[in-house]
Amino acid sequence: MNWVLSTALLGSVCLVAAADTPEERFETKVRPILAKNCFACHTASKMGGLALMSRESVLAGGKSGPAVVPGKPEESRLILAVRQGDAVIKAMPMTGKLKPEEIAVLEDWVRDGAVWPASARVQAGTGRITAEQRAFWSFQPVRKGAPPAVANSEWSRQPIDQFIYAKMRERGLQPAPRAARGTWMRRVTFDLIGLPPTPEETDAYLNDKSPQAEAKVVDRLLASPRYGERWARHWLDVARYSDDKLESQKELPHPNAFRYRDWVIAAFNNDMPYSDFVLGQIAADLLPEPQRTRLLPGLAFYGLSPEQQDERVDATTRGFLGLTVACAQCHDHKFDPIPQTDFYALQGVLNSTDIDEVPLAPEAEVAAWKAHKKRLDDKEVELRTFQDEQAMIVAAMLAAQTKDYVAAVTGARPADGLDAETLKRWKDYLDPAKQHDHPFLDHWRDAEKFQATVLALLAEKKDIDQKNLIRLGGPDARGDLSGAELLSLDRAKYRFYNELFGARKSVLYFAGKDLDRWLGALHSQHLAGLRASAEELKKSLPPQYPFLHTVKDSEKPRNAHLLIRGSRDNPGTEVPRRFVSILSPAEPKLYTQGSGRLELARAIASIENPLTPRVMVNRIWQHHFGLGIVRTPSNFGQLGERPTHPELLDYLAARFVESGWSVKAIHREIVLSRTYASAWIRHEANEEKDAANLYLWRANRQRLDVETMRDALLAAGGNLEQTGGGPPLRLNDDKNFRRTVYGYRSRRKLDGTLALFDHPNPNTTNEQRNVTNVPLQRLYFLNNPFVMRQGEALAARLNGPTDEARIRQAYRLLFVRQPDADELRAGLAFLKSEKGAWPRYAQALLASNEFLYVD
Amino acid sequence: MITRRNLLKTIGAGFPMTAFAQMSANPAAPRQPHFAPRAKHVIFLFLNGGPSQVDTFDPKPALQKFHGKPMPTPNLKSERKTGNLLGSPFTFKKYGQSGIEVSEIFPEIGSVIDDFCVIRSMHTERPNHEPSLLLTNCGQRLPGHPSMGSWITYGLGTENQNLPGFVVLCPGLPVLGPILWTSAYLPGLYQGTYVPNNEKEIDKLLPNLRNGRYSAAEQSAQLGLLQKLNRRQMEREGADPQLEAGIQSMEVAFRMQTEAADAFDITREPEKVRASYGDGDFARGCLMAARLVERGVRMVQVYYGDDQPWDSHDDILDHRRLARTADTPIAALIRDLKQRGLLKETIVVVTGEFGRTPATEVSGLVKVQNGRDHNNHGYSSLVAGGGFRGGMTYGATDDFGFQAVENPVDVHDLHATMLHQLGLDHKRLTYRYSGRDFRLTDVHGNLIKAIVET
Repeated sequence: MNWVLSTALLGSVCLVAAADTPEERFETKVRPILAKNCFACHTASKMGGLALMSRESVLAGGKSGPAVVPGKPEESRLILAVRQGDAVIKAMPMTGKLKPEEIAVLEDWVRDGAVWPASARVQAGTGRITAEQRAFWSFQPVRKGAPPAVANSEWSRQPIDQFIYAKMRERGLQPAPRAARGTWMRRVTFDLIGLPPTPEETDAYLNDKSPQAEAKVVDRLLASPRYGERWARHWLDVARYSDDKLESQKELPHPNAFRYRDWVIAAFNNDMPYSDFVLGQIAADLLPEPQRTRLLPGLAFYGLSPEQQDERVDATTRGFLGLTVACAQCHDHKFDPIPQTDFYALQGVLNSTDIDEVPLAPEAEVAAWKAHKKRLDDKEVELRTFQDEQAMIVAAMLAAQTKDYVAAVTGARPADGLDAETLKRWKDYLDPAKQHDHPFLDHWRDAEKFQATVLALLAEKKDIDQKNLIRLGGPDARGDLSGAELLSLDRAKYRFYNELFGARKSVLYFAGKDLDRWLGALHSQHLAGLRASAEELKKSLPPQYPFLHTVKDSEKPRNAHLLIRGSRDNPGTEVPRRFVSILSPAEPKLYTQGSGRLELARAIASIENPLTPRVMVNRIWQHHFGLGIVRTPSNFGQLGERPTHPELLDYLAARFVESGWSVKAIHREIVLSRTYASAWIRHEANEEKDAANLYLWRANRQRLDVETMRDALLAAGGNLEQTGGGPPLRLNDDKNFRRTVYGYRSRRKLDGTLALFDHPNPNTTNEQRNVTNVPLQRLYFLNNPFVMRQGEALAARLNGPTDEARIRQAYRLLFVRQPDADELRAGLAFLKSEKGAWPRYAQALLASNEFLYVD
Repeated sequence: MITRRNLLKTIGAGFPMTAFAQMSANPAAPRQPHFAPRAKHVIFLFLNGGPSQVDTFDPKPALQKFHGKPMPTPNLKSERKTGNLLGSPFTFKKYGQSGIEVSEIFPEIGSVIDDFCVIRSMHTERPNHEPSLLLTNCGQRLPGHPSMGSWITYGLGTENQNLPGFVVLCPGLPVLGPILWTSAYLPGLYQGTYVPNNEKEIDKLLPNLRNGRYSAAEQSAQLGLLQKLNRRQMEREGADPQLEAGIQSMEVAFRMQTEAADAFDITREPEKVRASYGDGDFARGCLMAARLVERGVRMVQVYYGDDQPWDSHDDILDHRRLARTADTPIAALIRDLKQRGLLKETIVVVTGEFGRTPATEVSGLVKVQNGRDHNNHGYSSLVAGGGFRGGMTYGATDDFGFQAVENPVDVHDLHATMLHQLGLDHKRLTYRYSGRDFRLTDVHGNLIKAIVET
């Protein structure tokens, strides 16, 4: 045989090829097994120190020894590892056991001397993508297939139902009946606007017998400004929105962050095309007007991003594309066709992007504020410097009188002519009861000598400061500059120096007001003047002008260098800026316009991109049903879940694009489906087949998320304030009656109630909230003053003539139904037996499961 | 005989476990570890700010000898500029049967040093507080990953359903704050419950624990009504594990009001016990930790103080002042746990996020200093109890105490070893999130067999 197989594309077809020489056998039989199962971790990334890249590297082995002993399979760690029977050697590959015939191939190879031709050395990190990888479902173009025919009139009115029903039938599942109308009403209202329906709204719907009754409700809800407040929050989780920066030691609010939140809310309310929504958040600054101005606030997606630059790649790729590109930071992606170079190609783009601000005030006002601020900063520095200089002059002067003060302390001379405060300080300091960590006070009573010691110390310190200044070549910066050869006072001397001259509580240093009396008229005047002007500048500084958190291209956009194994100390080749390979043509176009951010944004917001619409419609679906069609909404890769209804997902993605990327169009189609209207029921046979309800044979009972929960509590008490927009309010503020979406979100210290009820941590992009059910949450309902106040307010709102009437009112408000006889009886009994029990009754309703869950 | 411990065990179980067993998934219920555990609890004493190894548990004669001279070996990267070597101002003394040398500022720890394994070869990745705090707590340099305590409660559940499984005590907040005990993508019930242990009143220690308005009887009647309504819903609509879990949670919450108040109330300890811990927030935190662990809490983390007290850039003599309020409580905790029969099953860790440079620091401003910069290349951690071998030192730094050179141990190794003692294989303790299996030790971590009893 004289044809040679190319190395990277050896698939299963090659296994059948006849192989005569050991070299050929390696190429055709051994290598494919290694490539498929081992190379991901044992080439460039050398897991366990083992690189399977050449004969030498295999013989050298890893941390625990050689991988192969030629001729001796029984002694070869590689063989023992793949047999998976050894007590010590880790079973490999981690993804599962090789087939017996594959193990046999490797055994034979070792037995025959482990031949690995030099020409077949593996080149790490070439990032070649195989045809098999390209064939993965999520990279395929979106295909809008015809919905399956359904022989059930209830389920054949629209494509969503046809897709869902067909799968149900396939699995032998019985669809649940339609939910009661009140249940549907409560469900759709919470779902679309995050609030309960009012009794009037409910009545209007229940009395509407027209076939358009549901559509009317949905259209009203989608047109409500409350809709954007609800649905923006879902996106804000993905965008890791916060009102502050993760600062180490203190809160550092971003007072203008809310402009992004409000922009997202408006985008949902106005049904901004999702493609614009994407473009705006990635590259609004690079768009032509009028788009630029309209979309600019979206740039806070990066403008407010956490400090770490790798985070931007992660949020961008998981958020918009459902790809975990950040996993390819240290090595080629272990499971997806994402070569390591993809990460650095994108990082080049986002590293060439700088934080910026766009003022929302006239230029003159901005310039005036900046100038004023600079004057204030300069003045404060001037003041501090002058004070310190003067304090040191005074200290030096007093040091020169040490012997007089010491003599006064010992009683050797009267205190005449000495400063009383200084004398007091010396007395305190020289108190024999005090311990010191140095020997300089051992003989302080010898006043002359002691003074000489003090003055010598002062001189030595000055000398060292001067020399260090020279050694450092002027004032320095922090950073990786250690190793500077600097001089230092001897420790004991340093201690002594600080006690006498230190700026904090020393004997001779006078700070602040204490300094004034030492200064002559001229100096005093100057100091007073400095203080007055600093004070005046501070007082007259107006609040900072409003601005948008944005980004801009850096002046010199630069490619990133690949970091070998992700290590900063080990830079590899430069990677040109471009889009991810799997979503590009074979030879990806390199980015040439500035950072490339606009090109990146267009590639993501493109109708050619199959992931962008799929990922977004899946997010929408997930929030309606509690689970996505793909249950890993930010991971559409190999390790993500496969879609339960791939055709439906594609149908929705296609509809999304056709509708001009209209989010509301997708909502409307979903919530008006029969699928959406199913009841929550128990059904033994169905549960056996599909306990997780992946096939939506019934409704999913969902816990209110923390925003909806708090809003619903406020609404129950009649206390919800419905003004939208503006700066965030603290959620622990008793006077905050606004919707929870307007509450302060912190990266440093997330509000207690938010944290308790599973609000995600806004330091990373979040795809899906946890739902936990723990006693601490129930304590909140039992004892939190906010809940108790809403209970009281609810009780006070109910104005029926009798307890029974009031109970009925409460049930209508909270549960959109009438109480049954038992519930009524239990309520009446409670109210009768206890005096003033109404607030506690109301609170019990708020603490009930039925309040917290939506069917 | 009803011993105090047994009594507490009974109360600790408190909640009828059978009820939980019936429910398909109470995620906080105790879970079988991967293999037989040596330890059941962790008390993590965090001397935040970065205590200096060469002034505490890692004596270096060469450092004293070369004091004031340039370091003869190449300098390593730290955060700020450093100058010449700075000998320790403290003397060291041999303690206990093991004869381990401990600095004069920790005489009490010295007196229980035979219970401690002193790891002298710790190292981490960066000389900055934030990444090192995150690494020490969450095993990752960047924020957004679950804390060790969250991982442990996720892996093992917790014994006392009337108390949170993972409690964090800190007067004020350490640098970075609550992100250090976040459960991140693990379910929220595994997040650390933060308790500001400088507060004296129970309402301020734990939110929502007390009802300021209603009497116990009134609240009990209210609970009766509420549970009746909750059950009625299931009668009507069919049983639902979610709703059932809600009912059970409410029962537990009701009982927590008394049980948690008791657990955090250290005035219920005998005067003698309280006196043995000494004064101060950290002492109170250590005693609370003992009470909590006694009641079945899985992990308690006690921060020494607000912000980063051990960050002695300016003057290393500050360590003496800091040690005064750390030494007695730590030693008292060890003795107390032993007394309560809990030390064997409780891992006690004493550590900072990194150590300090043997060279003096000369930072930002041109001024002479007497302190040390951050040092991630080598530092000491102490571990006692839970099957760790007491009275031994492990690993070593170089002659000046700068870099771990013998048997280096990184934080992932420490995590892996702690998990191992708890019966958890750090490679199997994974959580699938966004399509990937995450773990505390990421892709790192080796079990250090030499420091645990076999």
